[in-house]
Amino acid sequence: MNKVEFFIDGKPMVAENGQTILEVAKQAGISIPTLCHNEKVSKTTSCFVCVVKDAKTGRFVPSCSFKPNPGQEILSDAAEVYDMRKSALDLLLSEHTGDCEAPCTVSCPAHAKVEEYVREGKNGNFLESLEIIKKRIPLPMSIGRVCPRFCEQDCRRNVKDLPVAINEFKRLAADLYYETYLEERPELSGKKVAIIGAGPAGLSAAYYLRLEGVASDIYEMMPKAGGMLRYGIPEYRLPKAILDKEIAHWQKLGDIEIFCNEKVSDKKMAELEEKYDAVIVTIGCWKASSMRCEGEELADNGIDWLGALAQNEWKGKNPGKTLVIGGGNTAMDCVRTSVRLGSDDVTCLYRRTEKEMPAEDIEIHEAKEEGVNFEFLVAPTKLRKESDKLVLTCQRMELGEPDASGRRRPVAIESSEFDIEADTVIAAIGQKTDATAGMKTNRWGDLDADEKSLNVSKTIFAAGDCVTGAATVVEAVAGGRTAGLSALAMMNGKDCEEPEIINVSRGHWRSLSSDKLVLIGEPSESEREQLTFIDLDKRCNSMQEVTETMTAEQIAEEGKRCFECSCTAKGDCKLKEHSETYGAKPDAIKGEKLLKGYDNRHPSIIHDRMKCIKCGICIKVCSEVVNENLLGLKDRGYFTSVGTAFNKGLPDSCTNCGACVEECPVGALDWKQK
Amino acid sequence: MSKRVKIGTGSCGLAAGAGDVLKVLRDEFPDVTVEEVGCLGHCYAEPLIEVETEDGSFYFGEVKANKDYLQKVINIDRSICTDFSESRVDLECLKVTALVGKIPPTDIDRYIENDGYSALKKALSMTPEEVVNEVKEAGLRGRGGGGFPTGLKWSFLAAKDAERKIVVCNADEGDPGAFMDRSLMESVPHQVLEGMLICAYATGATELIIYCRAEYPMAIEHLDIAIKSIEAHGLNKFSDRTVSIRIKEGAGAFVCGEETALIHSLEGKRGMPRFRPPFPTDSGYLGFPTMINNVETFGNIPVLVREGSEAFASVGTEKSKGTKIFALAGDVKYPGLVEVPMGITLKEIVYDIGGVDPNQVKAVQTGGPSGGCIPAELFDTPVDYDSLNSLGAIMGSGGLIVIGKNRCMVETSRYFLDFTHRESCGKCTFCRVGTKRMFETLERITAGEGVTEDIDFLEDIGPKIKAGSLCGLGQTAPNPVLATLRYFRDEFEAHVIDKNCPALECNALVNVNIDLKNCIKCRLCIKNCAVNAIDDNFVVDNEVCTRCNSCIEVCPRSCIARVEGK
Repeated sequence: MNKVEFFIDGKPMVAENGQTILEVAKQAGISIPTLCHNEKVSKTTSCFVCVVKDAKTGRFVPSCSFKPNPGQEILSDAAEVYDMRKSALDLLLSEHTGDCEAPCTVSCPAHAKVEEYVREGKNGNFLESLEIIKKRIPLPMSIGRVCPRFCEQDCRRNVKDLPVAINEFKRLAADLYYETYLEERPELSGKKVAIIGAGPAGLSAAYYLRLEGVASDIYEMMPKAGGMLRYGIPEYRLPKAILDKEIAHWQKLGDIEIFCNEKVSDKKMAELEEKYDAVIVTIGCWKASSMRCEGEELADNGIDWLGALAQNEWKGKNPGKTLVIGGGNTAMDCVRTSVRLGSDDVTCLYRRTEKEMPAEDIEIHEAKEEGVNFEFLVAPTKLRKESDKLVLTCQRMELGEPDASGRRRPVAIESSEFDIEADTVIAAIGQKTDATAGMKTNRWGDLDADEKSLNVSKTIFAAGDCVTGAATVVEAVAGGRTAGLSALAMMNGKDCEEPEIINVSRGHWRSLSSDKLVLIGEPSESEREQLTFIDLDKRCNSMQEVTETMTAEQIAEEGKRCFECSCTAKGDCKLKEHSETYGAKPDAIKGEKLLKGYDNRHPSIIHDRMKCIKCGICIKVCSEVVNENLLGLKDRGYFTSVGTAFNKGLPDSCTNCGACVEECPVGALDWKQK
Repeated sequence: MSKRVKIGTGSCGLAAGAGDVLKVLRDEFPDVTVEEVGCLGHCYAEPLIEVETEDGSFYFGEVKANKDYLQKVINIDRSICTDFSESRVDLECLKVTALVGKIPPTDIDRYIENDGYSALKKALSMTPEEVVNEVKEAGLRGRGGGGFPTGLKWSFLAAKDAERKIVVCNADEGDPGAFMDRSLMESVPHQVLEGMLICAYATGATELIIYCRAEYPMAIEHLDIAIKSIEAHGLNKFSDRTVSIRIKEGAGAFVCGEETALIHSLEGKRGMPRFRPPFPTDSGYLGFPTMINNVETFGNIPVLVREGSEAFASVGTEKSKGTKIFALAGDVKYPGLVEVPMGITLKEIVYDIGGVDPNQVKAVQTGGPSGGCIPAELFDTPVDYDSLNSLGAIMGSGGLIVIGKNRCMVETSRYFLDFTHRESCGKCTFCRVGTKRMFETLERITAGEGVTEDIDFLEDIGPKIKAGSLCGLGQTAPNPVLATLRYFRDEFEAHVIDKNCPALECNALVNVNIDLKNCIKCRLCIKNCAVNAIDDNFVVDNEVCTRCNSCIEVCPRSCIARVEGK
């Protein structure tokens, strides 16, 4: 027996019978990444991801093929070896085109696995769908109603027509199974966390902590849990009966206690810090911003006005002629609620134009349907009371240069003042965090938490609007989850940071034309399913929920519209795995990418050349293992690609083999079925 | 000896019009002995006629296919005679190319008359080991570019005991601007084959294969005729075996000059290199021991064996023995092939042989797209394998491109990368993607879109491509860029930081300007502008101008010039 003694990273090794460095390293438990290496076929030696260094000569050698010499000192974990491997991966990523994750999932602030829950919904598996949703979104009944749908904004289907009605999948799955579905909960670890605020962020933190075996106590200043969902979002958008059903789930989970009417004072805060293993602050953004105009105290502010109605079961007196100042969602909530309280003259005043309004388009549209007037390029300068009427003096504006937000700055037009008479004036121009004294705040007055871990100091974490400023429910639950898991890591003495995740993307739909789409199946051509609205009359005269949950039939049809953008090899891609290990990034090296198309002719196999890393394993598997010769390399240089003879495509009989598909280290050759 | 008229009808001669000249000679002067020979190496003078008389040879360059003119040539009219520069004649050392352009290439008898096959005869009188040792002692190194000791390589194959042993002549000459091997094969095919036969004898090879690029039809034709003559003369029959000889035409991939890719190509597979070991001498063509030498290396063998190792090694430097043939090209007065002793300085090649004005030269590129540039300040460097390596360039197969003062070095390196990145076989990550990314970066820089990070990227990825590629193509592809960055970094920085091309070559960074001081308003520039970029006041609209230089060329007063843009 032929033995060669040598060293890897200073440790003595023995290569027997012509073993390569890789083989010896594997036996010794030293991990070396590989891409083109596959034990089923002869060596290719092309990817250079497995390089190691000969310490003496300084040469880099591919460990998959290199047989060590006696006494040779091989370096496998040296910085320069990592750098070489990283560069090889950076280069591969620079030519690799695909979507590791679907754009919907990437754009979801909570990174819910959108494509997956949509697929389950399409197939009628709503319980499975809900299970996937709740991995990231613990409040799907509520979010299924009020989410601004970041996912739909980035949905690839936009290239063709309208996005998939993603949020409706959540709403139906949750409506159907909110009661049935109960998560598996591990035994309690003994650790306990205090959460301040039972809004979406606080509930989310408690939820994900419980799923990790951590109990929590939530201190809520209001009479009921729900935060902005209860006291900010009007009944007609999110019926509180539904919210109650959803929050009841926290009771069911157990080991989460919600103490209402408990405002946490600074003193109490110090006690909590002492008593609990961690404190998560999720106090929201409840302080209304000032209008900065004379007499503003005569106006109601939107957030308090809505809050008072919420505490009165959404009953209130007719506000008469109403002026709402502001262009955000709260302003929309105020105008639409005013209509429902009986006002037949509601006007929204906004200092820029409709294009710059931060409110969702659908909210503006529905408000208009309900008879709300809009006055754009108008700003209040003075509010006064004359007899029993309020008189608002406004000034006309015009748009100037873009400001820091990228929107064009409104500039006052001189001598353009005019008066409007009203019974009620509501200012809905923004909210601020009412930070607990002693807590670090940033320049916007929000809590200053670490961007990644959401840690504020020692055992204190923060999440939700109080960190981000007034934002969305889905962002709040994402933050709550992060804060919860960071607190968990801290309690376990581990690093808070989440592992690096890379995402290769074919690009935003705005930059893509329909011929650049890669479709594994044949998505339906039908138009987006429409929500059923209640009568306009009812909308204007009652607090009844405006839309109905889509039916299972509608969802099944809608699901067929999904392009299923994400990679077929998701979770099974060696390029992604190694890139994340070595810190390689898709945009580290930029350059032309091949958008050469893909071969979808085979009934069950998709050949996506844009993902191919040219390792040649498929070619060799087909010729050396299967004894066919269906695949080969074509062209030269950067344009080298794997293809079939005369581009005839793979024969149908490949369905019965699929050996190439099984061995492809990325998703270049894959089954169409996900 | 009566008068003999020799005309160079190699590919280069024919391209320059030698065919027409030959026709006139044959039709109009039937009594004159006309011989078609290969290329003398004086490309600038093609079509070229040598009239050989008892009083010596007379040369006539750029001859015309015209009866009266050719009459003067035959009559040896001294007034139209071409005198080769004395400095060139002094510096050249014609050993391997001694018969190039002197004898009809395919005529075995004429080759034998000139000592041809005497080396084979001598070798056959020695033992194979003695022949291998002779080559070893001569210190001959591979002329294909690698510079591996030839004798040592022979000994590897000689040591193998196998049913089939194959010797391959690598005639896949692919460097742009290099044509040493083509010239040898076209002009003295028998000399190359004699070298191969000696090798077969010394190493115990049973088969000889010439892997020749298909773009060399004349070389293939001449070799084919020569092989038939060899077989007819029984020169391939040794006492114990008959050696088969055949030609394999390559399909045009540059990478097939690399030995493992070449073997794959011989086997009918896609030309792609593989990891070594095993080296071809252990497992090569179809798994049999295979040894590959370059055309010029084989061309050296008959000379080496005939004159003996000592005489051979008396020319050259300590580590680089013998002579080297270079293809001199670029901004040079006398382009062509030259054979010079190893150790000659670049100065002598460029200035004395090439006839270049020292004030007009910036650098020289050796080793073609795999090599690097050497700035004029370093022209005292002796030309040998190790000196060139130490400068970041390589000897390569013999391409020597002179880069004039008015050339942009960034553009030059972009040009070479353009070639190599396309020729990558697509196997190794670093070569396939890395060279493409380097090329794109250079495109950006020459287009005026570069940033300083681009220079950092080139310097970072270049050495990694060299370290992370299986074969010589990837291992050398970044050289032109890295060497240029080493010696002409200021030019890169000018492009990137100042958005300025100092040589005024990169169109995106240059404007065209008319200086009205000397302008005579002849309107030639306006008339010749294809895109109407010049108005009636003789002002160039540089947004419209395509920088085609037409106006500059037609201006009778040289008023128009490329100037710094932006």
